[in-house]
Amino acid sequence: MSPSSRRGLFVAGFLAPAVVLYGMFVVWPVAEAFAFSLYRWRGVSEHRTFVGLDNFVRLGSDPVFRQALGHNLVFLLVGGTAIMALGLAIAHAVHGSGRGPRALRGVYLFPQIISGVVVAILWMFIYNPSFGILNGSLKALGLDALALDWLGTPRTALPALVVTFVWHGVGFYIMLFSAGLRTIPVEVHEAALLDGVSGLRRFVSITLPMLWAVMRVAMVYVVIGALNVFALVFLMTVGGPDRRTETMLTYLYEQAFKNSEFGYATALAVANFVIVMLLAGLVMALFRRNPQDARA
Amino acid sequence: MRSYRAFVALVVVLVALSACGRRGGSPAREGELDVALFRGGYGIDFFENAAREYEAAHPGTRIKVWGNPRVWEQLRPLFVAGTPPDLTWPGWGMDYWPLVYEKKVVALDDLLDGAPYNGSGKWRDTFEPSLLALGQYEGKQWMLPYFFSLNGWWYDKVLFAHHGWQPPRTWSELLALCAKIKAAGIAPITYQGKYPYYALGGFLIPWAISHGGMQVFDDCQNLVPGAWKSPSMLEAARRVKQLMDLGYFQKGANGMSHTEAQMEFVTGRAAMVPCGTWLHSEMREQLPKDKFQMEFFLPPVLDGGKGDPTALAIGIEPWVIPTEGKNRELAVSFYKYLTTPKKARQFVEEKGTLMAVRGSDEARKPPYLEAPAAAFRAARVTYSTEYIQWYPSLGKAAQDAMSALMTGEATPEQFVQRLEDAAEKVRKDPNIPKHQVVR
Repeated sequence: MSPSSRRGLFVAGFLAPAVVLYGMFVVWPVAEAFAFSLYRWRGVSEHRTFVGLDNFVRLGSDPVFRQALGHNLVFLLVGGTAIMALGLAIAHAVHGSGRGPRALRGVYLFPQIISGVVVAILWMFIYNPSFGILNGSLKALGLDALALDWLGTPRTALPALVVTFVWHGVGFYIMLFSAGLRTIPVEVHEAALLDGVSGLRRFVSITLPMLWAVMRVAMVYVVIGALNVFALVFLMTVGGPDRRTETMLTYLYEQAFKNSEFGYATALAVANFVIVMLLAGLVMALFRRNPQDARA
Repeated sequence: MRSYRAFVALVVVLVALSACGRRGGSPAREGELDVALFRGGYGIDFFENAAREYEAAHPGTRIKVWGNPRVWEQLRPLFVAGTPPDLTWPGWGMDYWPLVYEKKVVALDDLLDGAPYNGSGKWRDTFEPSLLALGQYEGKQWMLPYFFSLNGWWYDKVLFAHHGWQPPRTWSELLALCAKIKAAGIAPITYQGKYPYYALGGFLIPWAISHGGMQVFDDCQNLVPGAWKSPSMLEAARRVKQLMDLGYFQKGANGMSHTEAQMEFVTGRAAMVPCGTWLHSEMREQLPKDKFQMEFFLPPVLDGGKGDPTALAIGIEPWVIPTEGKNRELAVSFYKYLTTPKKARQFVEEKGTLMAVRGSDEARKPPYLEAPAAAFRAARVTYSTEYIQWYPSLGKAAQDAMSALMTGEATPEQFVQRLEDAAEKVRKDPNIPKHQVVR
């Protein structure tokens, strides 16, 4: 055996377990799920009825799906923007040396470390209209009129969930941007300061462009996170009140496990997959060009 | 390169092999039983002890009892793979009826015609007929009840005695009482807003039945066209709106989970709450040591309503015998043992819930179970919100509509129209098997 093929086999040997496991537990189930979307299946026996693209036709005219997708887009556009903005701002704040930034550094990852389930329960307590600390604080400040039923009122339920979504997610992005900020050579900032560029101008003209690749990666993560949000919504509002916080995955869960409509649920999964891929691809394409490059 | 091609071939073969699941299992030895149970507020210790007793009385049998709070999630793949347990109580999270449609559970009529565990006669006659009826479809018995629950309203006897209040029996008494409760700084009525079926079952349906009689709700469940927006349903929705407008529902209840709303009741911030007879067991850890005694009463009836004032809402959590279970005989025998009057009375005493076995309410009952037992004995007609299990999409639509009604997003007219539209969709769908209320 030639040295190169021996080396190839050596590499393959190390890759094989991971690839096999990935194939067995990720690729195959996903392929099977996509196949199930062409059937009507109750999910308690092997009996399935082939219905072709009926599930997708039904999906196309399903008002609940459109409503759910709209809510996912709210998570993306409102929550995502807040996450990016807050992430950048806080990463910038913890970047410096000194006691303030060092203290913040120890704290910002806490929400991210807590599991989504615990975050949901924690915020359910915070939002509780009777004994939650949010309404408690508002009442203590004399703002009784603002002490609403956050999760039970149709117009406040989704915004309340978005706040929790941002709170939980932002830590990861702070970490991502912090790492990105560290890659910017100190000399560049020193040169800028010597030239008299400071503050916001320095941030916009130097920091942001040099962070562009990191930001693009972050945006793709945000797209995935916002379109796949489940645990938070399921635990805090179950998609209510009156489907005002329904998301694609909570609707999928309902169709599969409450309605025993596994064919339709997997069609939802396929749609979710396609939408995530499209949006992620869109983000990658739209933000490929660094706006500062053109001027270079 | 050769090694690369060999590698790819290896991966493809392995992935293909992994796609072939193991079908079926090895045959069980005679005398072995696999029992899967939902472990909730009542635990499964009672059943584990019963298994030990049965094994002692029948040497050579081995009964494995297992369960957890999400056992239905594990049961689905077992049913699909054809290796279900021999006897199972899947719990509230299981969508039961597909098991019947797909013939994954056995029809029990012949078994019910057999003798009970000890004694003579038919096993069927040891059950309360109104509860057996809930497990029937197309003239056959598919599921069996064990314990059952009743649904109604609850109040705190101590709180009411302190203020000199009486639980309301009629609508006019309700309005008068709520005014007094509100004046005392307590929320008159709270409810589990996050799960609107509590409010549906606690307020809307009882008042529709009170207004027009049981036929009103039977027609709804039988998907009779127009039933869901009948004048009685509309009137019930209007009564709910009236209470909303008078501010008699607790502010913030709409977002409350079942435990949150029930906490409001238990801590005395709300005076009345709709719930089933599991309330005590569910709130066991949070009950105040003294100065609190929960008491059951039927939802207040509408003055001059046509409905029977003793009408009572009941519910069961079914047990089934899977078709592909390995030991049907032993499963039936063990379940017959569990439903002997002795074991049924023991369950009442240990777990504080009523049983579907006749004569079990002679057992020593905890104080909160006295009123429900009396209500069941006195009930001339019973009903159950079966449409939630028969037609889950209708059940969800009804919940969504109820939520809209109680947040003011839908008027009573819009509310009943939404219900009717959802019922029409189910009616028109040929893929959804249709049921009839069994009386």
